Amino acid sequence: MNRYRMPIVVAVVVIFAAVGAVLIFASQNGGGQNVTLDVTVTGAKSMSPDTLSAHHNDTVTINVTSDTDGEVHLHGYDIHFETKAGQVVSQTFKAVNTGDFEIEWESTSTHLGHLVVS
Amino acid sequence: MLATGILLHGFGQRYDLPASLALYLFAAAGVVVISFVLVVTFAGDQVGAKAIQYPRREVPFLTRVARSPWPRGAGGVVGLLGLAAIIVTGLFGSSKPELNPAEYLTWIYFWAATVIVSGLVGNLWYLLNPWAAIYDAFNSPLVGRSREARVGGHRLPNIGIWPAVAAYFAFACLELTSGMANRPWIVAIVALAYSAVTLAGMFFFGRDEWLQRCEAFTVLFGIVGRFSPLEAERDERGGITAVYVRPWGVGLLQPSPAGWDRVMFVILMLSSLAFDGIEATPSWQDLTINLEPLWLPLGAWGFFIEKTAGLVLLTGAFLLIFVAFMEMVIYFGNRRLDLKATVTAFALTLVPIALVYNAAHNYSYVMVQSQGLIPLLNDPLARGWHLWPAVAAYKPSFALAQASTVWFAQIILIVLGHVIAVYLSHLKAGEKFRTAQRVLLSQYPMLLLMVMYTMTSLWILAQPITAGG
Repeated sequence: MNRYRMPIVVAVVVIFAAVGAVLIFASQNGGGQNVTLDVTVTGAKSMSPDTLSAHHNDTVTINVTSDTDGEVHLHGYDIHFETKAGQVVSQTFKAVNTGDFEIEWESTSTHLGHLVVS
Repeated sequence: MLATGILLHGFGQRYDLPASLALYLFAAAGVVVISFVLVVTFAGDQVGAKAIQYPRREVPFLTRVARSPWPRGAGGVVGLLGLAAIIVTGLFGSSKPELNPAEYLTWIYFWAATVIVSGLVGNLWYLLNPWAAIYDAFNSPLVGRSREARVGGHRLPNIGIWPAVAAYFAFACLELTSGMANRPWIVAIVALAYSAVTLAGMFFFGRDEWLQRCEAFTVLFGIVGRFSPLEAERDERGGITAVYVRPWGVGLLQPSPAGWDRVMFVILMLSSLAFDGIEATPSWQDLTINLEPLWLPLGAWGFFIEKTAGLVLLTGAFLLIFVAFMEMVIYFGNRRLDLKATVTAFALTLVPIALVYNAAHNYSYVMVQSQGLIPLLNDPLARGWHLWPAVAAYKPSFALAQASTVWFAQIILIVLGHVIAVYLSHLKAGEKFRTAQRVLLSQYPMLLLMVMYTMTSLWILAQPITAGG
């Protein structure tokens, strides 16, 4: 028993890792679609809806309508929307990074919401 | 409403997605199955002093390097530059944390990355410690006396490492409960004040005396370094005589001075890490909102007091649970053992679980957020300088931080840490208890405790991250 215990433990951990890898990497559902998200920013304080979601590799278009002049910043992708009161500002990008990305009102660093790319 | 923006780990936001429920269940099941395999395969093991012997091999090249003054000199310069950069940019740079190098250097490069690298490779703080470097620079060339002879005449009272425990707790409060960790000038002031205290302490009470008992980071990295694969053998004057490589983790089996101060330090390491994760969970946010009537009337201090109370209660709970389980270990081990000595010895076997949780928790923080420092090199004080225009437009790469990679790294890390901890604890029990059967029996409560702790780590990683607002 003594001789085999290390190989046994290593084998169990390796099997665990392999199954985990299959579970995690195989479940990556390919996005690759076009997604359009419309958001409204009110008073440089809140955004509706406040949670946006997309899949990995989607082509995402975000249309921001704000009642205030200023700048909305999407972290992670580092995309800026220069808003003019009442006008729609659009940005299109490919969702190459997965994660939970904050969206904030740049000048006051007010948290508006977030974009979840899964 | 509670805070503006996401204030985790001192500053900055997390990008990583929480692990899915399926993945959490898979990892949790894996932990249980692997624990079971470990118990079965390790039945009938060595007992007595033999149990904690481990293989190690001398590396002549590293011995030569370690004996030369260069690593300490170079490390000291890097540490000093880092400390100076934190103080200068913190005081005179941008007040926005994401634009101030002091925040990156303190919370990512020092606090997250140096701990991970020290566990993975070796005690980096031994080389980097800027205060030790200042002290040595002032002393060695001027006075050729040995370190012991330079004790400043005063003696520390017999208080163990409690001052280091207190300093570590204060640092954890700054990071996690004060809500001020994202203000660069506060970070700089704290660094300046801590530098003054540490230098004064070293001059009054002696260099090593102060570092080993009052300087929280020296104590912390000493514990973390025990996990690392590098082992230095020293002569009685503290000089390195040989450097060995050993498997990861086994250094934690080496004898350690027994004492509740040391137990408390390890428990605080575990609880502060856990609290860092817990305070971002929806459950904690709900609790905070429910407790509003209690802390809101306290004004500006209310939120701080509520969080600090949370940290203190969590630490107390961890300590009580650990001691209760240790009582069971001793009971099943059926041997009269000193509780204090046994608790100290077994506390160190929990360190791998804390370290891997730290690495898993901070994975994307270190991989992605750390890159935010690069564009700041062009204009570190936010004065409109163009010191290095080539890096100004640098965008962080997410190559190693896609959700699937992060999750995989996290569950592998957590499970490996768990395996190492169970293994070490088994060896430690072999040393303490006389027969193989007793060893096995004594390990059931310990195994249960470790499974519980690992499950908690996994649970935190699977929680949705809340914005705190």
